[in-house]
Amino acid sequence: MENSKIIIGYLIYLPIVIILTIYVSKMLFKNGKYFMRDIFKGQEDIALATNKLFEIGFYLINIGWALLILKISYSSKNEMSTQTLIELLSMKIGGFSIYLGVMLFLNLFFFFRGRRKSRQNIKTVSKTPIYDVRNEQLK
Amino acid sequence: MNYNILTYCIYLPIIAVIMVKVGWLFYTNGEVFLLHLYKQDETIVKPINNLLLIGYYLTNLGYAIITVAYWEHIQSIPEILSTLSAHLGIIIIGLAILHYNNVLCLNYLVKSKRILQ
Repeated sequence: MENSKIIIGYLIYLPIVIILTIYVSKMLFKNGKYFMRDIFKGQEDIALATNKLFEIGFYLINIGWALLILKISYSSKNEMSTQTLIELLSMKIGGFSIYLGVMLFLNLFFFFRGRRKSRQNIKTVSKTPIYDVRNEQLK
Repeated sequence: MNYNILTYCIYLPIIAVIMVKVGWLFYTNGEVFLLHLYKQDETIVKPINNLLLIGYYLTNLGYAIITVAYWEHIQSIPEILSTLSAHLGIIIIGLAILHYNNVLCLNYLVKSKRILQ
């Protein structure tokens, strides 16, 4: 069994990565609902459906990428030591975690953008009066 | 058990505790600033704050884990202490720089908001 260490590495890598992806996207889109409600101005059904679609896309991209970078290439005559395995795994898992963080910030940026755009439309189309808390307190 | 693995076992819990603690402090104190920026709009501030916290954890812990891959070979117990402190120091200084950067950004945002109003 000269490759057993690599298989152990895969068995450690896969659950960590998949659980991390599921947890992050659950949290992201649980919080994203509020943004979607703002963007679609209270049209609950469209907001939730869009949110769900984004969530599925997020899962697909990230789990796909995780599987794509799975391969551990180790070419040497001697058997792999535990230390090398830990170092290779840290490279993979740390890299994936940073990638996931960047994706999360990208999504957050899209939410902000959508929210700002929908706000702008409200202002130009209907001119809703802006409620100012400070003036209310001054009176 | 060689010295490198022992060092990783000491390093990872320490860095995880520091990161989680610091992140939690930012989370609780940053909420006040966000509330100020969004005119006390509680429903949108909570999600933003949660997402920022998760992003912070992912990128920072990811970086902390990645440094393990580039660790030098350790031969003796004194070397464990010296390399451990060097690596921890780099990461903590990095966190401090990021933190001051953040505070400056927030300060700038709050000021520009005040000018607009």
